[in-house]
Amino acid sequence: MSDKRKLTKDEKKLMREIFWSSFMLEGSYNYERQQALGFSIGMWPAIKRYYKNEKDRAEALERHMNIFNTTPHVVTTITGVATALEKEASENPSFDKKIINNVKIGLMGPFAGIGDSLFWGTLRIIAVGIGLSLAQQGSILGPILFLLLFNVPHMLVRYYGGVFGYKFGTKIMDQANNSGIMQKISKGATIVGLMVIGAMTASMVTLESSLVFTIGDEKIPMQDYLDQIFPLLLPLLYTIFMFYLLKRGMKPTTILLVTIAIGIIGSLIGII
Amino acid sequence: MQTALIVGIILALLWFIEKMLGTAMVIRPIVVSTIIGAALGDVQTGLLVGATLELVFMGFIQVGGAVPPDVLVGAGLGTAYAIIGNSGAEVALALALPIALLAQSIKVLVFIIRSWFMNYAMKLAKAANIKGMINLNVGGLLLHCAMYFIVGFVAILFGSNAVEAFVNNIPDAIMNGLEVAGGLLPAVGFALLLLPMMTKTNVLYFLLGFSLLAYMNIPILGITLFGVVLAFIIVYEFNGKNGDSDTTDKEDEEELFDV
Repeated sequence: MSDKRKLTKDEKKLMREIFWSSFMLEGSYNYERQQALGFSIGMWPAIKRYYKNEKDRAEALERHMNIFNTTPHVVTTITGVATALEKEASENPSFDKKIINNVKIGLMGPFAGIGDSLFWGTLRIIAVGIGLSLAQQGSILGPILFLLLFNVPHMLVRYYGGVFGYKFGTKIMDQANNSGIMQKISKGATIVGLMVIGAMTASMVTLESSLVFTIGDEKIPMQDYLDQIFPLLLPLLYTIFMFYLLKRGMKPTTILLVTIAIGIIGSLIGII
Repeated sequence: MQTALIVGIILALLWFIEKMLGTAMVIRPIVVSTIIGAALGDVQTGLLVGATLELVFMGFIQVGGAVPPDVLVGAGLGTAYAIIGNSGAEVALALALPIALLAQSIKVLVFIIRSWFMNYAMKLAKAANIKGMINLNVGGLLLHCAMYFIVGFVAILFGSNAVEAFVNNIPDAIMNGLEVAGGLLPAVGFALLLLPMMTKTNVLYFLLGFSLLAYMNIPILGITLFGVVLAFIIVYEFNGKNGDSDTTDKEDEEELFDV
């Protein structure tokens, strides 16, 4: 099965159905089975095609009710792979159907990792970075651009991810592991994400010292000297301090409250 | 009464759209506050509040099964209270945080209730009743939307006066402090984003992005493009040399922060 292979007319229809069904994924997200109900519904286009009698269909729907959780934006790739496996299972009686869930479980972890860092960590941050500066100037384009920058790539990945997953089918993990595509995407996304977060930290965290030293008759505002050596040093240090506290296991909500307290106390005693 | 209805409907509708479009980010503060602002007749305040809250709530995202503070309810109600009381982003921020923390429990409750649905879902699957499964799934979503509607409606209907009185009694010194804190809070959001990503070896990319802006004032889009080019160079040009760096990353990370 090569990736250059053209899809037949019916397969293209199947891809569109997978795309539309994928929006069901998180409708009933819950603690017991997480996205399972939505995923199972997302498999229906494949199940109704490949299995003609009620018993087989029920068995397949039940199979996909197993606990499932991944980044919603990339789910169709896994649906695509599972679809290819269901096709194989329906045509080949000796195919062990347990493999389908094993492959799904094997995929949902890595895809959640890559999906979260690509969509939540990188794409969303870039979209926020661009939308935010417009919103701060009072332009309605801010939120609109934010949504477009996020969702155009999102929808493309959602559709073509399904095609990609289906085409590679069982071979996806071998192919991906051999050429290291997953690692490359993950590493590249991390680099871009870190640089953007760094830039946004510099532009959006504000902390200035209002301390003034008096030596003889001369008044020396500390912030002026800091700016000459390393502009925005204080925001950088504060962000790294927060990172350190989180690494040490402090709860985000705790450090939010601590930060508010620091802001209020610091401005009361006049150091920031 | 009318305002309360509008806010309730917006919260419910945004959640419905968010899930029916596969987590399309319409519940992020930059969008929520703008829409609340537009509905209550003050788009400008909505936009400014949205920008402020977006930064503060940046790190509050649902990754995996853990439930983060509820940004939709926090941003929605915070903005609504700020506009109703004719106050600015600081007030919205001061209100949005505790509200988001309280509202966290709505999601937890819904996730528990929907866990009880799963037995029924299994029965439907065993009967190959796909229509029933879709109805149950959408029903679960509507249940969540209904909870948001009730919370928004009740909070605005009964809370506005109390909140306004409370806000008017906050001393100026505290308000100034809140403004300073508003500048600092994004640091928490960024730190949360960095938490799963940054390690001893790749901290340099963070510093690079920071310095490019701090010293050279390059716009963020420009820095993003540099980042993409740099990522391609590193991933494809130097691929052979540091192919196994992923494993060493993890070890380094532990050494650095095991203080």
